Amino acid sequence: MKIFSLSILLTTSSGPSTLLSTASDLSSFSFYQRGSVAEFMTFFSRTVVERTQATQRQSVQEGNYTAHVWNRGGPENIAGIIITDHEYPVRPAFSLIAKLLDDFITKVPQSTYTTSAAPSIPFPEIETYLQKYQDPRQADAIMRVQQELDETKIVLHKTIESVLQRGEKLDNLVDRSQALSAQSKMFYKTAKKQNSCCVIM
Amino acid sequence: MGIQDRTDEFHTCVESIRHRSAFPPRGAEVKQRLLQTYEKSRAKSDFSRMAAAIGKDISSTTIKLGKLAQLAKRKTLFDDRPVEISELTFIIKQDIAGINKQIAVLQAYIKQKNTPGSQKSSEGKQLDEHTHNVVMMLQNKLADTSMSFKDVLELRTQNMKEARDRTEKFMHTTSSATNHAPPNPMGDGSLGRTNSKGKGRAPRNDDVLALNHLSAEEGFHTQTRGAFMQMQLAEQQDNYIQSRSTAIESIESTIAELGQIFTQLANMVAEQRETVQRIDADTIDIASNVSGAQRELLKYYAGISSNRWLMLKVFGVLIVFVSHRLCFVDTIY
Repeated sequence: MKIFSLSILLTTSSGPSTLLSTASDLSSFSFYQRGSVAEFMTFFSRTVVERTQATQRQSVQEGNYTAHVWNRGGPENIAGIIITDHEYPVRPAFSLIAKLLDDFITKVPQSTYTTSAAPSIPFPEIETYLQKYQDPRQADAIMRVQQELDETKIVLHKTIESVLQRGEKLDNLVDRSQALSAQSKMFYKTAKKQNSCCVIM
Repeated sequence: MGIQDRTDEFHTCVESIRHRSAFPPRGAEVKQRLLQTYEKSRAKSDFSRMAAAIGKDISSTTIKLGKLAQLAKRKTLFDDRPVEISELTFIIKQDIAGINKQIAVLQAYIKQKNTPGSQKSSEGKQLDEHTHNVVMMLQNKLADTSMSFKDVLELRTQNMKEARDRTEKFMHTTSSATNHAPPNPMGDGSLGRTNSKGKGRAPRNDDVLALNHLSAEEGFHTQTRGAFMQMQLAEQQDNYIQSRSTAIESIESTIAELGQIFTQLANMVAEQRETVQRIDADTIDIASNVSGAQRELLKYYAGISSNRWLMLKVFGVLIVFVSHRLCFVDTIY
């Protein structure tokens, strides 16, 4: 369950898209493949983003990779795309893109990328997002909460089982203490009888 | 009331009443009324007509309720027909409300009939009693119907809950058995609570476009793919939002379950508290018994150790007695 790359692009409804910021994790590929894979990723991102309309979410499968893209549109005309393998769950992918784009919009002023010459914009948070979301179960809030709740439920089940065992032991104790109480009573009566019976002797 | 031969009218009225199958026993009463006065018979037939109508409504509602109970009893997972059931529930509710209103109207009618008459004759009293009994019977029947309706609704909610649990278990086992072999990208780790809304979340592949390298290089087949994309667009939007809502709903239900587990736990511990108290009481009893027995034994021991003096005294008395006997015997001889 890996993310291969995460990119933010500037896209208008017609015309090419420009890559604003990207981060990728190509560690699973051998050293010599990385160059071509990176090129493929950028090409793939741009093509898919160009084919996605504004305020539209899409998921595209190609070979080993699945790309989830959200064209946010709006006044900034930006879109986010994430390229993952097939196992990565879809909903957290989209929430990651949404979070990333929101962050980008708040942090980077629009003027820097509306100019036609598009330098690469410093946005280091994209790297941190990429790394953090490699494990979506921890990063995505909903999944994390669900996971913790499940763990809690397991713990509670174990607790209930131990409480049941405790109940059994307590029942055991009750029986034994009742028997012991009866025997001690008999003991007391016998001892008392000793005193009253043989007064003569 | 002059003596008139009203037998024919009586016969026609009896015939007409016999056709209303709802209350045959009441027919006998009505016959008696008809014998006496025509006016009263007309009023009675009004009353009996209304009561018969209400009875018919109640019986038809009971039939519908039987059908609803049949539908609600079905325990199939997938063939549930919620639309029918909710429609039927709505209809039955309306019927019951309507019958209620009819009974209220009947009661008002009776009151209105009685106040202008204000008859204190025995026949009038019988009439009052009769109408009152009829209304009582109708109300009882309606109450029975409503009770069974409520039972059916409870049964239905129970079955729905069971079906949902079974669906969850079923989905969970399939998703864990296949082990994501068909890629289940919506796997939110929610213990397989994929959906119960029938929107086909697992077959997600219909949202996915397969991109072709070659066609990408030659340019798009924009027309067909555009139309295709249009259809997928709305579904994709919906799917994302719905998957979020499903995930959050599952979280909510998990939290509710946790709450229930906690209350169960508290109950169990509370039950065990009583047992613990019994054990405590028993232990205290044991301690007191044992200490009492020890006291007795100590007394006994003390008695035994000091009793030698008493024994000496007793033996002394015996010896004196025996020796006295011997002396006595000697003196005889």
